[in-house]
Amino acid sequence: MLKRLLVVLGVVVVCAFAFGIYAWRPAIAPIQPAPASSFSAEQIARGAQLASAGYCETCHTAKGGEPYAGGYAMDTQFGTIYSTNITPDVDTGIGSWSEPAFRRAMHEGVARDGSHLFPAFPYDHFSKLSDDDVAALYAYFMTRKPVHAEAPRNTIPFPLNIRLLQAGWKLLFFHPGRYQPQAERSAQWNRGAYLAEGVSHCGACHTPRNALGAERHDQAYAGAAIDHWIAPPLNGSNPSPVAWDTDALVAYLSTGVTRYHGTVAGPMAAVTRGLSKLPADDVRAIATYFADLDGAATRSGDTPAILAKALQLSAIGSGPTADPAARLYATACASCHYNSGEQVQPLRPELSLTSAVHLDDPTNLIQVILFGIDAPDGAPGVVMPAFGRGFSDADVAQIAAYLRATRTDQAAWPDLEKKVAQVRATAQQQD
Amino acid sequence: MTNFTINGRAVTSEADGETPLLWVIRDDVGLTGTKFGCGIGMCGACTVHVGGRATRSCITPLAAVSGADITTIEGLDPHADHPVQRAWRELQVPQCGYCQSGQIMQTVALLKDFPNPTDADIDAVMTGSLCRCMTYVRIREAIKKAAAAMAAADHGAQA
Amino acid sequence: MSRVRALAEAGHPLSRRRFLVTMAGSALAFGFPRLADAAMNPAMPGNTPMPATAPELSPDLWFSIDADGVIRVNIIRAEMGQHVGTALARILADELEADWSQVRIIHVDTDPKWGLMVTGGSWSVWQTFPVFSRAGAAGRIALIEAGAKLMGVAPAHCTARSGHVIAGGRSLSYGEIVRRGGALRSFSADELDKLPIKPVAERRLIGQPADALDIARKVDGTGLYGIDAKVPGMVYARPRLPPTRNGSKVVSVDDSAARKVKGYIRSLVIDDPSQTVPGWVLAIAQSYPAAMRAADLLKIEWQAGEAADLSEQQLQEHARGLVDRSDGGVRLDVGSDETASAFDAAASTLDQVYTTATVLHFQLEPLNALAFEKDGVMEVHTGNQWQSLVLPTLAKALGRPESAIVMRTYLLGGGFGRRLNGDYAVPAVLAAKALGKPVKLVLTREDDARFDSVRSPSVQRVRMAFDAKGEVQAMEHHACAGWPTKVMASPLLAKGLDGRYDPFAISGADHWYDVGRQLVRAIPNELANTGFRPGWLRSVGPGWTNWALESFMDEAALHLKQDPVAFRLKLLDGKGRNAGSAPNAVGGALRQAEVVRRAAQRAGWGSPLPKDTGLGIATSFGQERDMPTWGACVARVHVDRKSGAVTVEKLTVVVDAGTIVDPDGALAQTQGAVLWGLSMALHEGTAFANGLVRDVNLDTYTPLRIADVPVLDIHFVDSQQVPVGLGEPGTTIVAPAIGNAIFAAVGARLRDLPITSASVRNALSA
Ligand code: FES
Ligand code: FES
Repeated sequence: MLKRLLVVLGVVVVCAFAFGIYAWRPAIAPIQPAPASSFSAEQIARGAQLASAGYCETCHTAKGGEPYAGGYAMDTQFGTIYSTNITPDVDTGIGSWSEPAFRRAMHEGVARDGSHLFPAFPYDHFSKLSDDDVAALYAYFMTRKPVHAEAPRNTIPFPLNIRLLQAGWKLLFFHPGRYQPQAERSAQWNRGAYLAEGVSHCGACHTPRNALGAERHDQAYAGAAIDHWIAPPLNGSNPSPVAWDTDALVAYLSTGVTRYHGTVAGPMAAVTRGLSKLPADDVRAIATYFADLDGAATRSGDTPAILAKALQLSAIGSGPTADPAARLYATACASCHYNSGEQVQPLRPELSLTSAVHLDDPTNLIQVILFGIDAPDGAPGVVMPAFGRGFSDADVAQIAAYLRATRTDQAAWPDLEKKVAQVRATAQQQD
Repeated sequence: MTNFTINGRAVTSEADGETPLLWVIRDDVGLTGTKFGCGIGMCGACTVHVGGRATRSCITPLAAVSGADITTIEGLDPHADHPVQRAWRELQVPQCGYCQSGQIMQTVALLKDFPNPTDADIDAVMTGSLCRCMTYVRIREAIKKAAAAMAAADHGAQA
Repeated sequence: MSRVRALAEAGHPLSRRRFLVTMAGSALAFGFPRLADAAMNPAMPGNTPMPATAPELSPDLWFSIDADGVIRVNIIRAEMGQHVGTALARILADELEADWSQVRIIHVDTDPKWGLMVTGGSWSVWQTFPVFSRAGAAGRIALIEAGAKLMGVAPAHCTARSGHVIAGGRSLSYGEIVRRGGALRSFSADELDKLPIKPVAERRLIGQPADALDIARKVDGTGLYGIDAKVPGMVYARPRLPPTRNGSKVVSVDDSAARKVKGYIRSLVIDDPSQTVPGWVLAIAQSYPAAMRAADLLKIEWQAGEAADLSEQQLQEHARGLVDRSDGGVRLDVGSDETASAFDAAASTLDQVYTTATVLHFQLEPLNALAFEKDGVMEVHTGNQWQSLVLPTLAKALGRPESAIVMRTYLLGGGFGRRLNGDYAVPAVLAAKALGKPVKLVLTREDDARFDSVRSPSVQRVRMAFDAKGEVQAMEHHACAGWPTKVMASPLLAKGLDGRYDPFAISGADHWYDVGRQLVRAIPNELANTGFRPGWLRSVGPGWTNWALESFMDEAALHLKQDPVAFRLKLLDGKGRNAGSAPNAVGGALRQAEVVRRAAQRAGWGSPLPKDTGLGIATSFGQERDMPTWGACVARVHVDRKSGAVTVEKLTVVVDAGTIVDPDGALAQTQGAVLWGLSMALHEGTAFANGLVRDVNLDTYTPLRIADVPVLDIHFVDSQQVPVGLGEPGTTIVAPAIGNAIFAAVGARLRDLPITSASVRNALSA
């Protein structure tokens, strides 16, 4: 008995030691920040594009704070993580990071001092970035205005907060390595895949995660819940009636608006703002990649029929009606969301076509009804008001149920009123 | 602090971002042509244009219009002579008048999207605008009259 | 006694007699001082009148002419969509032979010299017509005499036209006469009363199309409504309403959460000696949004009034019990009220009960009032329909004389009777007094609905006795509802056979049909009178009495197997007390028969219709026998048997309102009134639950929208009779016409308003 115990203990000690060796990373010596003149303008500009396409600012800027100075709170299932300061401030930012230190962080998820980073920082995607692109990003960040700002402490509980343990997570889920082009695909497709898988880390939101928070590669782009929204599936299971072809994706990703899929909302708004800085070719490349995933080429033939049906559905409830749900919809929503004739107008998003109404989960629809879409998001300069101010949970549920029933063939959403209350409550907590 | 333009004028508001745009327009900017009817987005009396789209200002938080261009009834035309306003006068549409700023702003938006609206289009788009005096018959006529006038003007401009 | 006369003779310091005397007495005054800043001209941006160019002469109380010849007509009525100033000014200008382009309208404040100030009952044109005609005629005569003198000719050789006094080839403009100080002749009261009014053929403005002077400012956003009123230094207030309309007391207020709202100043418990708003607490703030937020965050403990559990069902059951008893209530003097013997002797009888649910005013501009003290006078800036009613209440609340209070009336964003009851001004003045600074009180829509003086629910029982030949022998109408007049203006209660009753709660039941012996009984629903504050709502009593009466007339026709139109025409024989009398009711029931006949004919009565489609007719004489506006409506509806949904396809309406002063305005009023009727028939109605109304905003209260509007065919009888009211009569003929049409379409009889798909389904399966 004792012997067996000792053996087990021995194994544990050995493993722990081995793991320690595996997990341990040396610190990389601090440097004096390189002068701005040591970077070429071209490289900085390229870095700016990439930083935009990676939405670095979105996560590395606190609400109302200085750009890139960190402190943005991310609610995870494990606790709140605050993003770090990535301005070139020597004390609180990455001013003392050499390019190799920066590259190690991007490619391996290890900070300059050797500690492991939480995967909230999507190094599993950034690992795919070429050394050149990482260098451009480095050039960009090192030429930003240094801001002295300490990030608040994370609220990840013990033992998950032990940085060393992050190495275990990596062991299980992280596959470092640069993007490998697929020879049978076009250069454009490969370019799109490189950007989407890498710097733009689309899977971080659109791929479901397992219990330990790692993306499930067997279900890549199958859609997932994120930040109290649903990131819809980007693969063949995308429920939008009209297939997402390349042109629609280009429009969506570069302007935030499409004719047949509505406008961006929620966390996706930052994505289109970010991608808008990329050269048009790059956006088209990303679009090409996802149009392929969506199977648009095989689905797009149905569009005219789908459109005709949508326009027919759009008219439901817009004439005289005694149905209370239809009246609610007609009075509150139809003045904007109504189309007729032969074409859908992009700034009257056609609700019989948008994914929010077709998804299995009503969260996005509820979010938009309750909180609207601000002018800088969605279609730029245009606002969807926030009906949550005056509508009861029952009102919102009634409209959602009505749309689901009249605009789709899908099953009714269960427990809608409760769901509305939940979405409302989580949003209020965030404030 | 929220910046936006209203009727072409740049405005900075210090009000809380949650403040409904309606009250900023009425009480801070001082343009009272935009009215308060229901406060829940279901009567249309508070309709203004944000980025050219008819928008219920009572449920639009100030923060949402950051950087946006807003037009109110007062800014529709410098001489209050927009074809829609003209049609409204010619057909003597208003009764108490309280809903009419909103009706007019909604109509201008309607005619942008549907220059030649059918009755069904009018029903759908205008149903959100309540007229408690029930001037609906004239609203419908005036919309058609304005549409015709605008089409004729367009035609003239092209010729 | 008619409610019009009752109103004029009511508790206001100025009785009708004094009212007339004051008017005549001041007719001789010249250029009396006027508070220029108190007035409102709805044609001007911001509604601020242009100053007059001196000298300004006022030949009588009702208008003035300045040196530019600009004529300012003083309007004591509120502008709430009826373009009343335009209609009234045209009456005066017509007799004055004024140049219409020089006419301005001035809505005045509550100076006692104006006498009774009320806008309601569709009375404005009817009441003002003789007064303004004579005021204009006096002015014309005076100007002709003054002009003749200046030109050195005899007045008899002069005429007046288009703002000029003309003698042969020469003429002088009215402005010039004023400029040159032409003295105007004075009239004694008797003389004024005897002044002849122009023959109809010589009318130049009345009856002609005119653009309403208030419209331009209603399409450019510069018209000012009460909610737009502001003064420097004012703070905003929003109430938190107590759990019951009456009898609530504040136990404690905790504002710790409200204090976190930026701009919040304080809470204020209203101590109201007039008991108009017991239990009110205001949140006071620097901005209205802050007041709104803060009010929600106040933690208030109340001791609720007695009606804390009041429900629609209780109200209806209570009323039902009362109409079934033979005692109680007040019988009206309608000739012969002994009906029992006729019912005993009857070969057959018909007996039905009808109900209507609680209805909200939902005028689009929520209630508001701005109040502040200035030079020892409490000024109230708001929209109001009955200043003379609320002034004494304000005086009581403030503990100061009425002479130290003045009300300035802005454009009303809808009245419909809600603003006859000026209760909302009370908390505003009390807050201004308590805080010592201007207070702008605005109710949110939800507050407005909860504080509404709703149209009371009603229960009515109607009975008829027939002889063996199918002739009507007797009829009884028992109507039970809340009595707004009892609650708010009890001196206006009318005298019945066995007590005083609210004429506003029963009128319409005393109809013009010849039914033999007749009993009309008005019964107060005290549960309503004490539980909330029942109000006057567009057309008031006939809103429910005519639903019962006209539905019942169809049932009676069916009982006799007669055509509903023919049955009505037979009873509208214009005999006896239904013959009508001068000046207002010339022609009597025969004029009502005529509108019925015309409406039926225009609507194609009797021609074949598609399946499940039917025509139904209803008629009305407006609100009161003293001032009948004859109207009839034919509704064409389609009923979907499965869902019970009713689609109103067309409403054909014929109205005889005597002389039409402003044809387009008359059409507008009737369009609005008819659609109100449709809205209340199918789309509105709420219910009391736990002491307050259940539906407080548009998510669940669903008035008619543009998509619900059917084809309207509205026709006026060409008439030279006395002009009567138009603002309300159209409302009451629509619901029964629809109910009757549903029966014609599918054989389902509806007896409860509003008509819902569910009630149609129920009736179909009954
Ligand atoms: S006040 Fe904004 S829609 Fe009614
Ligand atoms: S005109 Fe009065 S609400 Fe429309």
